[in-house]
Amino acid sequence: MDHTVKFLGRSLFHTDIVRVCVIISLSLCCILITALSLERQIGPVYTQLFYFPIIYATYFYPKKGLYLAGACALVFELLSYFYVYPSTVDLISTTVQAILFILVAVVVSTFTENLNTSEARYRSIFESTLMGIVLYDQNTFEIRLTNECVEQMLGYTEEELRSMRFPDLFSSPEEQRVFYERLGTSTDISNFQTRILMKSGGSLWVALSWRRITDNMVSTSIIDINSRKLAEQAAGENLARYQQVTESSPTGIVILREEKITYTNPSFTRFSGYSPDELLGKDLLSLVHEDDRAGFSGFISASGEKSDLPEIRECRFITKSGKERLGALFVTPIVQQGKPSLLLNLVDITEREQLKERIQRDTEMRHGIISTVAHELRTPLQPIMGYLNLLTQDPTTYGVNDETRAILDRCAKSVDRESQIINQMLELSVLDAGKIPLSYSVVPISDLLKTIVDTGGYASKGDLVIDAPTDATMEADEHKLSIVIDSMLSNAVNYSKPPRKIRVTYQFSNSEQMHRISIQDNGIGITNSQLDEIFEPFTLPDGSSANRKHDRVGLSLSIAKKYVKMHGGYISVDSIVNLGSTFTIHIPRTPDGAETSHDA
Amino acid sequence: MVRRPAMTRKILVVEDDEPILDLMDLLIRKLGYDPVLISNGPDALEYARREPPALILLDIMMTPISGWEFLEQLRAEKALQNLPVIIFSASPSVEERMATINDPHLGVLHKPVSFTELKNGIERSIGKR
Repeated sequence: MDHTVKFLGRSLFHTDIVRVCVIISLSLCCILITALSLERQIGPVYTQLFYFPIIYATYFYPKKGLYLAGACALVFELLSYFYVYPSTVDLISTTVQAILFILVAVVVSTFTENLNTSEARYRSIFESTLMGIVLYDQNTFEIRLTNECVEQMLGYTEEELRSMRFPDLFSSPEEQRVFYERLGTSTDISNFQTRILMKSGGSLWVALSWRRITDNMVSTSIIDINSRKLAEQAAGENLARYQQVTESSPTGIVILREEKITYTNPSFTRFSGYSPDELLGKDLLSLVHEDDRAGFSGFISASGEKSDLPEIRECRFITKSGKERLGALFVTPIVQQGKPSLLLNLVDITEREQLKERIQRDTEMRHGIISTVAHELRTPLQPIMGYLNLLTQDPTTYGVNDETRAILDRCAKSVDRESQIINQMLELSVLDAGKIPLSYSVVPISDLLKTIVDTGGYASKGDLVIDAPTDATMEADEHKLSIVIDSMLSNAVNYSKPPRKIRVTYQFSNSEQMHRISIQDNGIGITNSQLDEIFEPFTLPDGSSANRKHDRVGLSLSIAKKYVKMHGGYISVDSIVNLGSTFTIHIPRTPDGAETSHDA
Repeated sequence: MVRRPAMTRKILVVEDDEPILDLMDLLIRKLGYDPVLISNGPDALEYARREPPALILLDIMMTPISGWEFLEQLRAEKALQNLPVIIFSASPSVEERMATINDPHLGVLHKPVSFTELKNGIERSIGKR
């Protein structure tokens, strides 16, 4: 607003120049008028005239005003001497007048300096405060004054703000309406939260406080609460989201404080059969099955102390209708409303347990049926086998000739096979029911392989090589392991044609810490699609001639797979159709992880 | 020198399946023993008390008492505690049950048995005594 000019090497404002001119001319006028009135002796001497330049100067320039007052007093005193000397009375009176000039100047300058200091103080507060301050006219709502903070906050310049009315700042007519309403109730209002419009078009959450400072001037302070407000909103949304998650969760959720229920979600309410109101404030322990209460209390109290992996506990609850339900519990210590609380997650596993029991019952029932069937199938075999044996053992007594004997031998073989199938069927059923334990011993591998080959007569079927160190041993159930190896060898023979080449290899894998026994043949091989099936009960490589030729039900591989699995191992198969297959039995060195009794 | 009484050659077969009884009659004779065929537990028990045989071949699935009950009652008699018994059954759960009984004079043969298996089984059991 003010423009400066250089004057005598100093920067002066235009207003300063005007003021200095006014002061000088006023002073000169006063001197002239005083001189004239003294010279002409007309009328009284208006010494009061000097007060105008003195007060005016002192008001704007307190120090220079004092000099001016001094100068005026001196001039006045000199004039008086010049004109009224030697009247002593007049001299005293003029001296008093001159002293009064200085006194007035001193008083005014003190007052002005004080005023300036306090104004500067308020101005600095006004300008530097982090609070936006707007002064507006109470009647017209025109903005009179704003500080820099408002400009920064809203993005308007001071001029733009001064051309606006205060209510124009609000972001919507609705906000304006609320503003007028509040204004109607009281003139002094604090912490009125609203949104105001920024120049950029965005809106800003602010807290307004206003106060009437003069008859028609209102001062409004504006505090930016945008980030806090947004955080609050976000927190509110988060809360809503969490609530939605807990309310819709299939897991029962309960919050316990001092053993009392302070929150339950609908899943838990459904589980318990009680209404939420009935549950609130209730001791959760009262819902726990009597026999499980001690364990439950221990679990709950231990959960607060442990910081390691939380465990899950199964616990029976009694519902409102008196039914027993099984829940899997998971507890997390939390702080709710500043107090240590427990967050319980509960999964209803009643049905899962029932299902498990039913499966167990079904398996046992199936096993029972198979046992009975086996008994019924085996009993009639006894006479057939016995009489056939009798006829072939003592052919002369019963008049059996060689041809008949050959036929009877074939019949006996069929009986053997049927008996074997029944045994395998039973074995599988027993394995499914989980009733067979392993009995571990240290097995000399090379010896075992030789025994199996000798007993099965495999060496006579083709070129058979055993490649195993004579001193190698492994821990295994010898009987079951030999059944596994025997079924592999029997397969190798059955699914290949002469000239057969069968190679049995033993190796120990240091990297995997596994024993590996491989049985390699040059047989018909297995296609990829058959690989998964051959270990399933009653499956043979489909449609193959071997199927009909050997007329065997494929149970031995299923049994072998289960036996190896019980040892904690597995069987792998490498095969190329028409070139041959390699079955490898992998059994871990240590029986850890093996099943001492098989689980269904 | 004390003369021991001539050892009995009698083998008691307790079995309720007629065809098997017929077969056992034939096979046991063939092996050079005297078969005694009884088709139910109580009668067999009474016979065993009266005239202890060299061996009992015992079926399990029988009425009115099962082979197991027969065995229990048999072993309750002090004089019959060391009498060799071979469980002769087609039932698959025999081994399981046998594992719970500590009886050195108890053997097992699973039906169907071949002539040779029967011969070996009988000789092993009688030899034990």
